[in-house]
Amino acid sequence: MVIDAMLQYNSTVAIDIFKDVEFVEEIKKCIQCGMCAGSCPLKHHMDYPPRKIFALLRAGKKATILKSKSIFLCTSCYSCKVRCPRGIPVMDIMHSLAYYATKLSMESSKNTSTFGKVFWKQIYKRGRIDEKALLREYLFSNGFIQGLKNTLDMADMGLIMLLHGRMKLLPEGKLKSLKEFKVMLEEAENVGESI
Amino acid sequence: MKYFLYWGCSLEASGANYLKSLKPVCKKLGIEFEEIEDWNCCGASVSYVGAKDFTIKVLNARNLALAEKTASYDIVAPCSSCYVQMNRANHEIQENESIRNLINNILAKAGLEYNGTLRVRHIQDILFNDVGIKRIRDAVIKPLNGLKVAGYVGCQSVRPYGEYDSVERPKVQDKIIEALGAEPVKFPKKMQCCGSGIFFPEMELCLGLVKDILEDAISHGAKIISTICPMCAMNLEMYQTRINKIYGTHIEIPVVYLTQLIAVAFGMDLKKEAVLHMNFIPPEYVMKHIR
Repeated sequence: MVIDAMLQYNSTVAIDIFKDVEFVEEIKKCIQCGMCAGSCPLKHHMDYPPRKIFALLRAGKKATILKSKSIFLCTSCYSCKVRCPRGIPVMDIMHSLAYYATKLSMESSKNTSTFGKVFWKQIYKRGRIDEKALLREYLFSNGFIQGLKNTLDMADMGLIMLLHGRMKLLPEGKLKSLKEFKVMLEEAENVGESI
Repeated sequence: MKYFLYWGCSLEASGANYLKSLKPVCKKLGIEFEEIEDWNCCGASVSYVGAKDFTIKVLNARNLALAEKTASYDIVAPCSSCYVQMNRANHEIQENESIRNLINNILAKAGLEYNGTLRVRHIQDILFNDVGIKRIRDAVIKPLNGLKVAGYVGCQSVRPYGEYDSVERPKVQDKIIEALGAEPVKFPKKMQCCGSGIFFPEMELCLGLVKDILEDAISHGAKIISTICPMCAMNLEMYQTRINKIYGTHIEIPVVYLTQLIAVAFGMDLKKEAVLHMNFIPPEYVMKHIR
């Protein structure tokens, strides 16, 4: 399949298809050495490790990439980015693809994308993350019954955290200037779309 | 020595024992901190799913602007994610004029501006380069003689910039451990990621990562693991029972923050300053054993 992808390689086509993906023009530099894949902690669980994703990018295989579970398995450990002999920001491209797939609702697994969305909801709501509210919202993201099951499964851990003073019952603080903060973020999203 | 301390969201909750031990240790070493007024979340390691990189830079630019408005101290971030996100935004703003202008137009909506005059640093950098090993060693009252410590570095405290330590073979944490009289053990998975921000949504896969790290540390003789990141600490410490249940293993090893180890070696109160009672797997018996 990689050979197939290389045969179809036309960087103009690929970059045009993925023009909304940040840093995508950097794939032109890729020499398919596999250092990124070799350095990735979750490589064994990926359908297409970063090197293959790049080959698919060049071939313009949009659906295959955006439905791949690999793009949601980046732990942001920066190993691929640090080691890439061509200086490609591998991690940032994987991140952008995950964002793009989420935006188009093409994710194969909703785990990380839901977590990311709930995370942003917290940022918008209070400017900071309240860990327990974040986890609660994530656990209940598939309905109330599933939420209860999930919560029971994690209950022992919640209790341990409470008992050790590493979780409070009361909500965490909010930003004082939350209103201006939100205005700023909305503007950032608008500007970001046009870059 | 005065710095801004940007401790971030985790250190107010699951990483509370980091902040509580960091403050007295730094005070003892002559470090003064000032909080960044009304700071916000840095975006951590999972925000990339819900926004473009540009928005995450704006998040961090706000904190940088708030700090720059007050003073010109370096910003210290003890959390690896806070450190890497803020540092990344800072470099980009300093080096890329068009991004700087775009970001400043947005900051202006909140009456803010950032000119890129500050430095963002990790707490290990401060301890190693500004305080120095000699001063840390001189402050040790109760050396941790013979305690075998696995100094777990993980990812974001050194990668991608490697500004104060090697990105492949970091030494700073081990040198601090040595200065406390303890013995840093070598273990190959020192730099393998624990799953970081996607640990919770991809728990099944990430438990495997943590199991490998813990087993590696134990098999190389470690009696205790030290970390310098609230996510590493949480992931390595919290799930040991779950790992044992799934994999049929018998892993049990205390995980503490480096600052807690330092507090113990400085002879500080085990409860008030080293806050060892806040750890899930009691580290006290390991500490008592060495005394």
